[in-house]
Amino acid sequence: MLKRKYWLIPLVIVIAIAAFSFLLSAPAVSYNTDIKPILNKKCITCHGGVKKKGGFSLLFRDEALDTTESGKRAIVPGDPDASEMIRRLTLKDDDERMPYHKEPLSEHEINLLRRWIKEGAKWGDHWAYVPVQQQKVPEQESFFGLISKKDPWVKNDIDAFIRQKLEENKLKPTAEADKRTLLRRVSLDLTGLPAPKKIADQFLGDTSSEAYERLVDTLLALPQYGERWTAMWLDLSRYADTKGYERDDSRSIWRYRDWLIKAFNEDKPYNQFLTEQLAGDLLPNATDEQILATAFHRNSMTNDEGGTDNEEFRIAAIIDRVNTTWEVLMGSTFACVQCHSHPYDPFKHDEYYKFMAYFNNSRDEDTYADYPLFHEYKKKDSTVFEKLKSWSTSNLSSEDANEITWFLKTWQPAINGLTADQFVNSELSDTKWLLMRKTSSARLNHIDLTNKNQMLIRYMAWPKDGELTLCLDSLNGTEIAKIKIPKANKGWDFLNSAITPTSGIHDVYLKYYSKELKKEIDNGLQFDWFYFTNPFPGKDKPGFDSASSWYDSLLRSPNVEITPVMLDNPDYLKRKQHVFVRGNWMVSGDEVTPGVPGSLTPLPENAPANRLGLAAWITDPKNPLTARTMVNRLWEQIFGQGLVETLEDMGTQGIPPTHRELLDHLSWQFVHEYNWSVKKLVKEMVMSATYRQDSRVSKELLQQDQFNKWYARGPRVRLSAEQIRDQALEVSGLLSKKMYGKSVMPYQPGGIWLSPYNGRLWIKSYGEDQYRRALYTYWKRTAPYPSMISFDGAAREVCTARRVRTNTPLQALTTLNDSVYVEASRHLACDLRKEYKDDVKKMISAGYEKIAGKPIPSNRYLILERLYNTSYIKFKADSVSTCEMIGIQNEFNEPVTAAMVVVTNAMLNLDEVITKN
Amino acid sequence: MGRTEDKQQRWLKQASEHALRNVTRRHFLKESRTGIGMMALGSFLAGCDWLGSKKDVISAPPMFDPAHPMIPRSPHFTGKAKSVIFLHMAGAPSQLELFDYKPDLHKLDGKDCPESFLEGKKFAFIRGVPKMLGPQSAFKQYGESGIWLSDNLPHFRSVVDEVSILKGVTTDQFNHAPAQLMMHSGSPRLGRPSMGSWVTYGLGSENANLPGFVVLTSGGNNPDAGKSVWGSGFLPSVYQGVQCRSVGEPVLFIKDPAGMDRELRGASIDAINEVNKLAYEEFGDPEILSRISQYEMAYNMQIAVPEIMNINDEPQYIHDMYGTKPGKASFANNILLARKLVEKGVRFVQLFDWGWDMHGTSEDGAIDVGFINKCRSVDKAMTALILDLKQRGLLDETLVVWGGEFGRTPMQENREGKQNPFKGRDHHADAFSMWMAGGGIKKGISFGETDPIGYNVVDGKVSVYDIQATILNQLGFDHEKLTYEFQGRPFRLTDVAGNVIQEIVA
Repeated sequence: MLKRKYWLIPLVIVIAIAAFSFLLSAPAVSYNTDIKPILNKKCITCHGGVKKKGGFSLLFRDEALDTTESGKRAIVPGDPDASEMIRRLTLKDDDERMPYHKEPLSEHEINLLRRWIKEGAKWGDHWAYVPVQQQKVPEQESFFGLISKKDPWVKNDIDAFIRQKLEENKLKPTAEADKRTLLRRVSLDLTGLPAPKKIADQFLGDTSSEAYERLVDTLLALPQYGERWTAMWLDLSRYADTKGYERDDSRSIWRYRDWLIKAFNEDKPYNQFLTEQLAGDLLPNATDEQILATAFHRNSMTNDEGGTDNEEFRIAAIIDRVNTTWEVLMGSTFACVQCHSHPYDPFKHDEYYKFMAYFNNSRDEDTYADYPLFHEYKKKDSTVFEKLKSWSTSNLSSEDANEITWFLKTWQPAINGLTADQFVNSELSDTKWLLMRKTSSARLNHIDLTNKNQMLIRYMAWPKDGELTLCLDSLNGTEIAKIKIPKANKGWDFLNSAITPTSGIHDVYLKYYSKELKKEIDNGLQFDWFYFTNPFPGKDKPGFDSASSWYDSLLRSPNVEITPVMLDNPDYLKRKQHVFVRGNWMVSGDEVTPGVPGSLTPLPENAPANRLGLAAWITDPKNPLTARTMVNRLWEQIFGQGLVETLEDMGTQGIPPTHRELLDHLSWQFVHEYNWSVKKLVKEMVMSATYRQDSRVSKELLQQDQFNKWYARGPRVRLSAEQIRDQALEVSGLLSKKMYGKSVMPYQPGGIWLSPYNGRLWIKSYGEDQYRRALYTYWKRTAPYPSMISFDGAAREVCTARRVRTNTPLQALTTLNDSVYVEASRHLACDLRKEYKDDVKKMISAGYEKIAGKPIPSNRYLILERLYNTSYIKFKADSVSTCEMIGIQNEFNEPVTAAMVVVTNAMLNLDEVITKN
Repeated sequence: MGRTEDKQQRWLKQASEHALRNVTRRHFLKESRTGIGMMALGSFLAGCDWLGSKKDVISAPPMFDPAHPMIPRSPHFTGKAKSVIFLHMAGAPSQLELFDYKPDLHKLDGKDCPESFLEGKKFAFIRGVPKMLGPQSAFKQYGESGIWLSDNLPHFRSVVDEVSILKGVTTDQFNHAPAQLMMHSGSPRLGRPSMGSWVTYGLGSENANLPGFVVLTSGGNNPDAGKSVWGSGFLPSVYQGVQCRSVGEPVLFIKDPAGMDRELRGASIDAINEVNKLAYEEFGDPEILSRISQYEMAYNMQIAVPEIMNINDEPQYIHDMYGTKPGKASFANNILLARKLVEKGVRFVQLFDWGWDMHGTSEDGAIDVGFINKCRSVDKAMTALILDLKQRGLLDETLVVWGGEFGRTPMQENREGKQNPFKGRDHHADAFSMWMAGGGIKKGISFGETDPIGYNVVDGKVSVYDIQATILNQLGFDHEKLTYEFQGRPFRLTDVAGNVIQEIVA
């Protein structure tokens, strides 16, 4: 017996030696896990990006190793004793010892710092700033390769990662949820709605092992999938139907929403999806749709308040684009770098402005019309446009043909009246348009007149006899045109006039005079924009007369859908980008050129210095942030919280990931295996056993993991504002399936819109537009749709990377009393009554099943039946209330249906209904 | 009916146990880093105090728990004021016809404005060289304090010894929307939380049956900056101001659908909560418990809100005192409502009265016509508010703040270079007047001086941030410590500025 254990001895020795040598060569101190937390917590407030007390900053290694103001080096790699930092941390005198007048560092902390300096004071990169590496999927548990057991719970790689952490935390996964729960969960997650009956029945009747996957594939292919994910993207892109600020007037940008729905539905690869939104206009041979995609960054606000500085708000919009790009696409907080180097993350002050330089040459200038706009001609004018296009292609040089169609599509490149200066008896009227009085002048700065012999203006004029003179470079300079300005037709009009050909870039002085005007201060002429061009070409070609009249009529076309888009300035209008000293746009620092932060992956080779180059960098597989951010976001949408909880911040101040390897694994898969397919990624998530778990939680598990961060149970979270509304409309049979188009105005209580200087009204939509999905509801920034806001929707003034879910009595009041929910209750009650006649039991059971997506358990039934009875007795005795409850005079105006309305209304408010179980 | 106190108590007990566990909530550990302090435990029981017992708040720094976001929380120190009534005259009233008496300006009336005043200055509408405009009302000294007041405020003179007038307020925005945002959110851009949101985030709500932050508007329009002036910005949306309305539903969706009476609504909420209770037993998700209590609160709000918004039952002498006429969205009605709301424990009441933008482009917008009417429409009511709060012993714990978003120019506006048809003044950011009363503010003080024409502040200059810091101070907050982490840094109402105006703090 004894002999048989002798073989253990060498093993014991081996283990002992291993353990001993481990002690001797303790692993090197890790900058990220050991040092950075100390520095961030104890040092960086005074020695970081904002403040560099004593000339010492710990943000970047080169700075930290530099000589400080005292002439000493705070950190001497390899030599803690020569490092001033260590000396100052260990002094006795309170006025000398660091942290200054704060709790001293613990001995342990100081030792760590000493060891770290001894080991060379290496800087480590934060995990999120290092390119994603392929991860090894955790093996199933094995013992010296001898025993290998395959865990039947694991369905895909996600589960292997989750399983590993569960084991580390001594947790066990929960069994799969029942089919109905799963059906409702996955359907709400993928399409934002309960599954259509046909699909539901098919799944419930399908007993094969592929039933669930088939369901997932079917749901992913539904057009409602695109609507559901667009609803998410609208928060990210700060989509709204108004311009924001005081006047908060309407903006037509719904075509962008439609673009998103289509993009999600056709599963446009995410890299392409981002490239088109950031720089679709710059793609070679950009299609109309690609240009429309750039409306993404035209969702920034425009300020129409009289007296506001257009340049200030143009810059505010650019800054918003920079911050949105970082927060939404790259999960980083870049906004602080606006005023100073980032206090915690490796971004330098000037890098903000280098990045901003990518956006600073977009054509928009805070104009009232939101120029540049993309024009899509509709009705008969779409035919006219096509006719003109084909005439131009066959009769003109491609350059001329392109210029004509491009101008009709964009009205660019035009010079906006509001860029004029040197006003003499002229000014920007309401700070929006150039206004000239009886005798007046103004200047257009820096205009390229090479080969231009025509000027088209969009203008208003009141007197009949106005005369406009154009001079080069001074009020008395060479006259290049003298133009009679007739009284304009109603509103804005167009006028085409010849100018003397010249070449080069000039200041154009505008001089106006009208004899008819009585007083000097009387208004004569107002400009929206100027377009320096050439006469309509092809005079000698057949069909010229029609073509040029088509051109004129399209300029004035009322049949046009407009969408603000991103277009870049022509070369001669390029703006220079300067650092704003301490973030103040009025104080210019050094000039910078487009570039990305040096601490991240470099720009791809040959990336142009414009938004297209920027898009190439953002979608470069080596970009450490883009894929991780999207994976984390999709995970949050499906599991209720991100792997990094702070979706908006994966930087050092964000909450560290719970499953970093899983995040990286999925990010790698997303880019390299799925070729940026969002559908494939989403499918991987919902196919996992992790996702399919039952969401019921025991007291013990709740205590161990209250917030389900280790995923030992399925996700259970309240539905979003949009989902709650859509679901109520759907289960009651009211929801319209109509897709796309202008935003709609479903019922809204009176008195919500009272914007000053804005006569716009909430005009209730008719017919099915009352019952469209929530993402089509008109979104006014300063007065958003009330029920959206009460369920944590954002005003969308700026982007919202994450909605924080709250639980309030105002939410209860919304689903109890908002007329949408009352109407849904009525509609369903009437349907039930129609179908089940006097069978109360069937009405209640069928109603519950429709709303909650599962058969009614008897304990629920009893409660709801009691409510029915209480209501019935009441309505039986009160015909007036009965009539009111039903709302309209019809055959259902009787106590049974009225009582059912009370019951269905209660059902729509159940926790299990407004929650994804 | 089945609405037994027993059942409610039992659920609440479970809900409170859940709240106690919640202190470890990972999400909010983040907060603890940012100066709002290590989160000690707020008392959920106090949050559920809708049964009406005395509040008992554990003294601890504030904490935000999304399941119970309105739990009463203690500020950084004991503040003098428990609530704030902010009376905002949207459009910006002229200080030169109300509080800032400038006899020298009379002498300059009608003269060209000296170039030196215009150099490097930018106005919203004035172009070229405008004319100076003398004070358009008569001034006298009133009260023991001898404070100068214009004859536009015949009632207010009787309470002038209760207030601190600030004559040296400045802002850096001269357009309405940005300036209003600046005043209420500390930033001229949209997207920051408003003052009332910060206060409810910091303090929670005293009365669970009423919103913690109520907004009332009069004058027919929302403020220029829209609902963002009471928005929650990046704070959770639960902290946004709730607009209570004198016309229509007092709070959106508070009225049950026609045909449903209280009893039936009670039965329906009982049924909802009973099913939810079953769901809780099945799923074990504590969020269900808080939903149960939210539905109870909703039920109670449905009674409490319409009750408080009804001023019909106020005694006649109160109507006489305030000049209220029930059924109208008037400033007088709103100010009486404000008093009722703070009496019931509402923390922050924000009133906006539209129509103070007197450019002189019309008779209604004339400083010597329309303006006088606007003054009449608020003078009596705001005076009554101070007297009424005082007689109820509430003035000491209620901070009343009055002002616009900026001031007006001593020059007469010449829009687009032309003399306006009526007497009006353009926007002016460099000097304006506000007043504060109650809530630990000194009585009968005039603080701050402008130059002889009221153009620039020469002494006692305060910024909008200082006003905000002072308001937070009176409530017991160190304005530098009431912060929230957003876009990578802790944000606060006062941005990176603000000093408490010690000269007016009692």
